[in-house]
Amino acid sequence: MVQLTLPKNSRMTEGKVWPKPDGHDGKPATNLKEYRIYRWSPDDGANPRIDTYFVDLDDCGPMILDGLIWIKSKIDPTLTFRRSCREGICGSCAMNIDGTNTLACTTGMDAVDGAIKIYPLPHMPVVKDLVPDLTRFYAQHASIEPWLKTDTAAPEKEWRQSHEDRLKLDGLYECILCACCSTSCPSYWWNGDRYLGPAVLLQAYRWLIDSRDEHTGERLDQLEDPFRLYRCHTIMNCSKACPKGLNPAKAIAEIKQMMVARQF
Amino acid sequence: MHSKSSLRTPLARVRGLGSAKSGTGHFWKQRLSALALVPLSIAFIWLVAQLAGADHGQAVAIISSPLTGILLLLFLLSGLVHMRIGMQVVIEDYVHQEGAKVLCLMANTFFTIAVGFACVYAVLKISFGM
Amino acid sequence: MSNKPASAAYTGQAYPITDHTHDVVVVGAGGAGLRATVGASQAGLRTACITKVFPTRSHTVAAQGGVAASLGNMGPDNWQWHMYDTVKGSDWLGDQDAIEYLVRNAPAAVYELEHWGVPFSRTEDGRIYQRPFGGMTTDFGRGPPAQRTCAAADRTGHAMLHTLYGQALRNNTEFFIEYFAIDLIMDEDGRCRGVIALKLDDGTLHRFRGQQTILATGGYGRAYFSATSAHTCTGDGNAMALRAGLALQDMEFVQFHPTGIYGAGCLITEGSRGEGGYLTNSEGERFMERYAPSTKDLASRDVVSRAMTMEIREGRGVGKKKDHLFLHLDHLDPAILHERLPGISDSARIFAGVDVSREPIPVLPTVHYNMGGIPTNYHGEVLTLRDGDPDSVVPGLMALGEAACVSVHGANRLGSNSLIDLVVFGRAAGLRCGETLTAGEKQPDLPKDSADLALSRLDHFRNAAGGTPTAVLRGEMQHVMQTNCAVYRTGETLEEGSELIHKVWKSAADLGVTDRSLVWNTDLVETMEFDNLIQQAVVTMDSAKNRKESRGAHAREDFKDRDDKNWMKHTLAFLDQSSQTVSIDYRPVHSYTMSNDIEYIEPKARVY
Repeated sequence: MVQLTLPKNSRMTEGKVWPKPDGHDGKPATNLKEYRIYRWSPDDGANPRIDTYFVDLDDCGPMILDGLIWIKSKIDPTLTFRRSCREGICGSCAMNIDGTNTLACTTGMDAVDGAIKIYPLPHMPVVKDLVPDLTRFYAQHASIEPWLKTDTAAPEKEWRQSHEDRLKLDGLYECILCACCSTSCPSYWWNGDRYLGPAVLLQAYRWLIDSRDEHTGERLDQLEDPFRLYRCHTIMNCSKACPKGLNPAKAIAEIKQMMVARQF
Repeated sequence: MHSKSSLRTPLARVRGLGSAKSGTGHFWKQRLSALALVPLSIAFIWLVAQLAGADHGQAVAIISSPLTGILLLLFLLSGLVHMRIGMQVVIEDYVHQEGAKVLCLMANTFFTIAVGFACVYAVLKISFGM
Repeated sequence: MSNKPASAAYTGQAYPITDHTHDVVVVGAGGAGLRATVGASQAGLRTACITKVFPTRSHTVAAQGGVAASLGNMGPDNWQWHMYDTVKGSDWLGDQDAIEYLVRNAPAAVYELEHWGVPFSRTEDGRIYQRPFGGMTTDFGRGPPAQRTCAAADRTGHAMLHTLYGQALRNNTEFFIEYFAIDLIMDEDGRCRGVIALKLDDGTLHRFRGQQTILATGGYGRAYFSATSAHTCTGDGNAMALRAGLALQDMEFVQFHPTGIYGAGCLITEGSRGEGGYLTNSEGERFMERYAPSTKDLASRDVVSRAMTMEIREGRGVGKKKDHLFLHLDHLDPAILHERLPGISDSARIFAGVDVSREPIPVLPTVHYNMGGIPTNYHGEVLTLRDGDPDSVVPGLMALGEAACVSVHGANRLGSNSLIDLVVFGRAAGLRCGETLTAGEKQPDLPKDSADLALSRLDHFRNAAGGTPTAVLRGEMQHVMQTNCAVYRTGETLEEGSELIHKVWKSAADLGVTDRSLVWNTDLVETMEFDNLIQQAVVTMDSAKNRKESRGAHAREDFKDRDDKNWMKHTLAFLDQSSQTVSIDYRPVHSYTMSNDIEYIEPKARVY
């Protein structure tokens, strides 16, 4: 059966409460925000713990990521997380913030009342602290062959694509592969080894609907599977989670419609 | 990276046994039976309301009318089809041990067929007054 | 692959090393690295691509406005006009043979991207949509602005990078993802033999041996406090080249993008001005009309950034501190904003709290791009000054993209010329590898001390127990660069800056690293990145101090004019690690073109 409780060595323990910082004037800072962050390292064999930090808002940018970087710079350099562009386009800093999978860089601290609770993306193996292992997610993305496939001899210039056909790619190509949606999907939690998950299916649809692609049928063949595609039970967590405002659930519904359409 | 349990490449693991190239029939049947169940369920509720407070004789009389009997059979068959494929999805979702899964799927099918035949037998028996 | 202990043990610990042999080893998986990887793979060469972040998280992903190529989809255009604009944009410091190579190969490179699937925006007749961009004109600067920049809404870099990643998958590239390259392996003949990298998720060391090593590691924007660059833009390849005894070229030329969001520093594409946006000061005046009467807001970036700095200095800035300016898009049709500028509309909302359809965006010139880098020819081969030959090729080593200085951007890059630089020279490098290498050719054994440099540095930083955390020194470095090496420079600020930045470098002897783990040790990686950054910062400051003229992005208030007589030359800066000193030499600017189809464009006054 599906495992519904955490294994013993994954149970959370209360970690360290780090001292409150001093402000610029040397007196204790008063404008503080509390962060409660999941910590785990493979080195010590200990259970994961929740460390508590206090961020001086007078010395820090407004985003959750600003706070994480502030903690790493000023309090605890061992805190480990991925980050890069800090403007919501690279998809590195996806994590579970206050119960929602989202990007730390585009979420303001003011979006969370009280302490900000941060965990790694759910149901992924943890490498360290907030860094999940996304190997399988990337392999699933590779498995749908995310490139344009044509057999007709390529033209000297561009393939022509009507303005309307190009508009169909909007809301699809913008995906940043942050995995917020896939790791918010219960069906992906239970069956992520065989179900491709919303992010990858959104990408699959991006190539299915591209008017330039000549391999739509083969692409559909590869997806037509009780697990790869049909594990989607329209739970809709994906569309709610997407930090870029995309709608993977709709893309999956469109794929299912294409599947039916080619039957009749 | 960290999945040391297998030496297969991530892509090999993800591709697994390949696409089953099926599932659309299942998906379509589930929607179709769901759609059919909308009017049929209303009819069934209406029938239950009719039967409320009726004695055995009245009940037999109501069910043995051809229209009622046919609607009831349709309701039962759609419901059973819907139940079976729905249950199959639940089993596939949550039962991951291969042997247990196959057993559950078989039991699901056998159960549906057994219940189905019993229901059909009962309705036909009443309809034809056997 | 084999596991063997390193040749030497440091501080009593031996680091086991895993060996790999490939024909080509690419470091970096941004646009240039991926394009070169694809090219080398297609040439039948066994290619490794090492990257410290997953490929689609490289900073190419953040490029917005577009990729320049004279397709002529929106009106008449040709490569000669593109070439003229690029030369003028570079303030004549660009090498014109390389520029010719760039602009002539640009259209084919864009069509290739399109054939690979980039979702370019389209014109009504189904061709690639092209928008106006700063400094892009027609008829050798005499005509109206050119529409030359091919765009996928305002997410062109994202669309390109994801497409290139797909192509790399298609060509079965061997990726080494989340490996941090530490140092090059150079042999006694000065040939590059590969690279040593740290695998982040388990802390193991990997030695990559290759016939050709390609550095495509991007820029070092994070040497500054406020940059549009990602946190990962630390110019690791540039610093590796410095440590290998090679020069960096034209490092004093740092581009400030006119429109970084005030405070956050996030990029607002120049395409927003291409689509009709304009800048205003506190008096509501469209001040660019005064500075660049003909091209106005679409003058080249150095010109606009200087004009903005001047407006703020003269007290016409906006906001409480009068320290920034406004970018207006509120007059544009909401449908256009939605279709062509959706990304920056989001960015402005998130990072400035502004609804672009109603309010102006607060903006400020922000560090954006490094024109300088590792000197190369237009095949991507790294050059150095050797025995008086300024174009002597370093065997086995190539550099591409922002890490390289080909030099096509000279003293100032035009917007949308960087994305085309990536794919054109990435492709060129792949082709060159195909021409010059034989797949699977046996490679001689590596020198015994091949891992020493990387290992000693790794070990040094891993066990650094000084009193100053990396973040403190990084902050000081960024502050010095931001204050003393900004849009306008003077001899005084640069002298002081040089002193201060050398002081920061010296105080790195007291670095302290807290995290002792080998698994995903970002404290260690950030420290090695800081070490890379500070070396480039020092070189940048000293190169700037040395160049006594104003050219492109290097604007000296004490030497206001361009001085072609004395300074029409590339700066070469070498770094001596032990004495921590910079020595400067020069390379002549190529005063010739690649072919006879176009003549050398003679320097003249640069007016927009």
